[in-house]
Amino acid sequence: MSPEARRLHRAAIGVYVLKTLRDAALPLVIIVLLSLLRGGFDAGGLVRGAIYGAIGVVAAAITGWWRWDTTRWWVDGNGIHKRSGLFTTKQTDIPWSRMQALDLQQGIVQRWFDVHSVHVQTGGGGAQGEIVLEAIWDEELQGLRDMVAARGGTVGAVADAGTRRLTRGALVLAALTAGQLGVIVPVLAATAQLSQAVLGDEAEEDALRLIPDSGGEVLLAAAVLLGAAWLLSVAGAVIAFAGFRITRDGERVRIRRGLFEHRETTILVDRIRAVVIVEGLLRRPFGLAELEMEVIGHAKEQAVAQTLFPLLRRAEVGAFLEQLLPERADDIDRLQVLPRRALRRYVLPPGVLALAVAAGAWPFVGFWGVFLVPLAALHGLARFRAAGWRLADGRLVVRRLMLARTTVLAPAALRESVTLGQSVLQRRGRLADLSVAFGKRTRARVHHLDADAADEAFDRLA
Amino acid sequence: MTELPPRRLAPKATWVWRLQQGLAWGLAVIVVLVIAPELDLPGWLVLIPLGGLVLAVTVAPTLRWRSWRWDVQPEAIEIRRGVLRIRHTVVPMLRVQHVDTTSDILAQAFNLASVEIHTAADSHTIPLLRGRDAEEVRARIAALADES
Repeated sequence: MSPEARRLHRAAIGVYVLKTLRDAALPLVIIVLLSLLRGGFDAGGLVRGAIYGAIGVVAAAITGWWRWDTTRWWVDGNGIHKRSGLFTTKQTDIPWSRMQALDLQQGIVQRWFDVHSVHVQTGGGGAQGEIVLEAIWDEELQGLRDMVAARGGTVGAVADAGTRRLTRGALVLAALTAGQLGVIVPVLAATAQLSQAVLGDEAEEDALRLIPDSGGEVLLAAAVLLGAAWLLSVAGAVIAFAGFRITRDGERVRIRRGLFEHRETTILVDRIRAVVIVEGLLRRPFGLAELEMEVIGHAKEQAVAQTLFPLLRRAEVGAFLEQLLPERADDIDRLQVLPRRALRRYVLPPGVLALAVAAGAWPFVGFWGVFLVPLAALHGLARFRAAGWRLADGRLVVRRLMLARTTVLAPAALRESVTLGQSVLQRRGRLADLSVAFGKRTRARVHHLDADAADEAFDRLA
Repeated sequence: MTELPPRRLAPKATWVWRLQQGLAWGLAVIVVLVIAPELDLPGWLVLIPLGGLVLAVTVAPTLRWRSWRWDVQPEAIEIRRGVLRIRHTVVPMLRVQHVDTTSDILAQAFNLASVEIHTAADSHTIPLLRGRDAEEVRARIAALADES
């Protein structure tokens, strides 16, 4: 690969244009929708909208072309460089020694032109590379990989030590059981409220008429909302996880996924602080789990970027980790259980809280609220039985149940902080809480374990 | 629980808490006094924020100050706090990413400052040290973190 400065493939223009239009699309859609809903949208408005749209596309195309025309990248003995900018020029240089990965992405535009978007990663973390080459040819990618390999790095070469793919059947199952309802329902409810606010007074009256006024209608509305949320969650999971493939490659794992946009991400094993086995509400009865990971520097990435594998049988987790991530593998069973005296602390507080809620809700739902009490107590019992931990050979395993059952596996040495907590009541019962932080999203917590055992574990972890 | 870290917060910290909490509870008393007649709520409700106010300006700050202990060692930072619920946290020096000192208007009035220690997972605060002590602690943690 010659050291002279070169341009990106012309497909980059399309990428820039699409990005500009996508950024501008939401405000435009809102403006169009608002005028439509307020009844001020006649034929003249339609023509005006089309003209504004056309002007926007032309402006985006010109700036896209200009940006492409002013962008150059090159490689030399020192590393890889990119210079770009319309009015202010920005140049980024990454020395070969700092280069940790070449991540590939293929969006719709890149697939159309059969080119790749390459994210050059350094140790800084984050899914977005420090240098992004929006569109380069296959030969250029190969040349880049060869140059990295020639400089002693393993970034370019794929030493395939093991690969695991998500089958179509598993993808469908993963999508059907994706437990993101908890996130989507409030979003849908907020959207409904927002649209109501946007619709104005008349529509609000219409909307008021639509508000369910009987118990049956409330249930029906809830079922429709849940159904819509579930469909959204299924579609989201299919788009994110289609073609999911994880490959172990020396000190890295490579993850490829995506239906419309193919993404290939490389993660240094050292950056994976912890593995979390999540057995969601819909998956646990079938013995299925999702594997997530805590990657340092990835805290701001979206949740799917933290997925190590979307769905596998719980019984397979051990073998999967042994093959692809032996550094973080551990026995997820045979954990230390909590002392018997901790049981009432799991059962009593939620039971009392449920009783208070039932009492407060009595005027509205009557006797039915009382059923909350045994439900809350049973959930407390399930949480007590699910809780477990083990600290052995420098590895920590902690399991707990909220709605999903999660098991955190991590080397103790990778903890960010350790906290031992004890309330006055716990002191009387010789119990304590232990909490170990491994990253922004991952905290291994055990409530109400034996105080002496907690003290000893704290001393070993501190 | 394990051994107590030896260092304490600045004694004047109690006055900052007294003022902060006293203002908040005092505001709650005024709100209840204004709202209760409007909503036909019983007058004795004001006793709840009033009780909070009395506690906040008398014993609570002293108890809170006594419960706060901390220490900075070459390998780790230790923080122990809590009256009804004691929490003892250890942050390995190796994990410290950066460290700040902060001081709001009330703290500045008493020449106090807080030290905030940031890791990749979370942040931890040693509140209300004497201004110069806070600067020293920040510099020491930064130097130790750099070495580890």
